[in-house]
Amino acid sequence: MEVHNLVTHFGHHVVLDGVSLSVRRGEILAIVGGSGSGKSTLLRQIVMLLKPTAGSIRVLDTDVTEISDLEALPLRRRIGVMFQHGALFGDKTVLENVSMPLHEHTHLSPDLIEQTALLKIALAGLEPDSAALYPSQLSGGMRKRAAVARAIALDPELLFLDEPSSGLDPISADALDDLVLQLKALLGLTIVLVTHDMDSLWRVADRVVLLANAKVAGEGTMEELVKSDHPVARQFFEGPRGRASRRAAGA
Amino acid sequence: MHGRAELTLSGSTLECGGHWTARDLAHTERELSRLELPAGDISFDLSRLRQLDTVGAWLLYRTSLLLEAQGRSVSYQGLEERGARLLALVEKTGGSLGEPPRPYAPGALEDIGRKTVKHLEIYRDFAAFIGNMTIVALRALLHPTKLRWREIVKELQLAGFNALPIVGLLAFLMGIVIAYQGGVVLRDYGANIFVADLVGLAMLRELAPLITAIIVAGRTGSAYTAQIGTMIVTEEVDALRSLGVAPMEMLVLPKLIALVIALPLLTVFADITGLLGGMFMANALLGLSAPSFVERLTEAVALKSYLSGIGKAPVFAAIIAAVGCFQGFQVFGSAESVGRQTTVSVVQAIFLVIVVDAAFSVAFSKLGI
Repeated sequence: MEVHNLVTHFGHHVVLDGVSLSVRRGEILAIVGGSGSGKSTLLRQIVMLLKPTAGSIRVLDTDVTEISDLEALPLRRRIGVMFQHGALFGDKTVLENVSMPLHEHTHLSPDLIEQTALLKIALAGLEPDSAALYPSQLSGGMRKRAAVARAIALDPELLFLDEPSSGLDPISADALDDLVLQLKALLGLTIVLVTHDMDSLWRVADRVVLLANAKVAGEGTMEELVKSDHPVARQFFEGPRGRASRRAAGA
Repeated sequence: MHGRAELTLSGSTLECGGHWTARDLAHTERELSRLELPAGDISFDLSRLRQLDTVGAWLLYRTSLLLEAQGRSVSYQGLEERGARLLALVEKTGGSLGEPPRPYAPGALEDIGRKTVKHLEIYRDFAAFIGNMTIVALRALLHPTKLRWREIVKELQLAGFNALPIVGLLAFLMGIVIAYQGGVVLRDYGANIFVADLVGLAMLRELAPLITAIIVAGRTGSAYTAQIGTMIVTEEVDALRSLGVAPMEMLVLPKLIALVIALPLLTVFADITGLLGGMFMANALLGLSAPSFVERLTEAVALKSYLSGIGKAPVFAAIIAAVGCFQGFQVFGSAESVGRQTTVSVVQAIFLVIVVDAAFSVAFSKLGI
C-alpha cells in the first residue's frame, strides 16, 4: 500500500499536508502521532471512507483516491478494518456480527458460514460462549476482539486497526498485542495500526511512521526513531512514558 | 482475482485445485457432500492448490473428520508450507469448537408470561416515575429560585416557539377541512351561517387542543425520548448523577415546565389559525363574509368552550412530557434501543392524550361545561 503526497483540508483546517508513506506486504506498520495529528483521518482515507483533497493512495495495486463505492467493492473484501470503539452492530450477536461479511460476500452454506465465524471468533481469542452475546454485554477487551474477528472474517490480506489498545487494561492490551503478532504469523496478514500506545509500538511494530503538524515527522524502526532529532519525536520518545516503555522494551 | 475451486475424484484420491477460498467454495461444498467415495482410506492431493484460506482449510479439516469418523484414515499430499500451517491452525482452533451457543428462546406460553410480567413492571415503574416527578415538581414550585431557568427557556423555544409554524399550518388546514365538510351539508339546508358554530365549537373544544397535542407528542415527545435515551447510552446521565445533579431535576423538570407553559399557548395559536381557516373556507365555499362569520361566532361559542379547550392543554402537556422522559430512561444498551423507545414514546403519548381527551369530554358533558 502506498500513500503519496496526501493533502486533506476540513474547511480551513489542514489535517494532512503532503503525507507520504508505504507499507510492504507482510509487515506491521504503526502510525503514531498526538491527538489531532491526522492519523485517524489518514486511516479513513486509506480504507476508502473519506476522500482526500489532493494526493494519491494505492492499496493492493489499485488506485483508490477517487474510487467509487461500487468499484471499491472487490477491494473491500480483501481489507479488514477494526474501528476504535469496535463499531459492532448493537442489534446482532457476536456470531451474527462476524458472520455478516460471509453472508454478504459469499454463497457458502449457513453451516459453513457459522463454523467459519466460530473459528474466527476463536482465533480472535474469545471464548465460544461469547458468540451468543450482544455487544452491550461484552467488556471493552472482548468488544475489540469481536471487532477483530469480524475484520478477519473474509481472510483479508490487509488489516487496519484503529487504536486497538485504547481504553484497555494492561492485561487486555498485552493480549491484544499478542493477537496482532499472531495474526501476522499465522495468517500472514499485513497490518497497519494507528496507535499512541508506546508499549505496543515496541512490541508489535516492524516500522513506525510519526505524524505531527499534518506532516510525517519521522519514519523507520523504533530504534531508528528514538534517535531522531525531530522535536516531536523527542517529545514522544523522551517524555516519561517514552522512556519508561523504552526501558521496558530493553532498547 | 476470481478463481475456481476444483475438486476431482480419481480412485481413492481427492484432487483439490485452484482457489479454495471463501468466494469460490460454495458449489464445491455441495459437490463434496454429494460425492460417492470408494471404501477404504482417502488421500487428498493438494499439489494443484493455488490459494487456500481459512474457509478452505476448514472444509478440508471438516471433511477429514467426517471420513475419519467413518473409520477411514486420511492423508494429505502435496501441501506446501503455508497451507500446512493454516491447516494446523484450523485443526488446533477448530478442534474445540462444538455447538455454537444459542441465545435462550422461550416457548410461546412462557413468552406470554414473561411479556405480561414485564408490562406490569413497566406500569409500576411509570407510576413511580410520575410520583417522583410530582414530588420534584412541587418542591421546585415552593423554591422557584432553584429552578433551572436557562434550561426551561431553552426548552420553551424548542418545544413551543419553533412549533408555531407547523401547529399554525396544520390547525389552519383542519379549519378548512371542517368548514368544507360541514358547509357542504349545511348549504343544502340553507343553514350556511351555522358553519361558524361548527367550526367554532369543534375547533375550540376538541380539534385545536387535540391536533396540537398530537403534533407536539410526535415532534417534542420523540425528541425528549431520543435525547435522554442517547444520553443514557453515552453515559451522560451517569455523569450527571456522579456530579450530584439529579437527572429528574436537570433533564425532566425543565421539559415538563416548558411544555406545560408552551402547549396552552400553542393551543391558543391553533384556535386562532383554525378559526381563520374555517373563515376562509366559509367565504370561499358559502360566500360567508368574515364579519358575519365572526359575529355568529361570538353568539354561538361561549367562553366556557374556549376555556375547556385550553384547560385540557396542561394535562396533555404533562402526559407528553412524562411519557417522553420516562421512555427515554427506559433506553438500555444501544442505538437500536433509542429508536425503539422513541417509537413507543410517541405511540403511547398520543394514545394517552386521546383517551384523556375522551374522559374530559364525558366529564364536561356531565358537569355541563
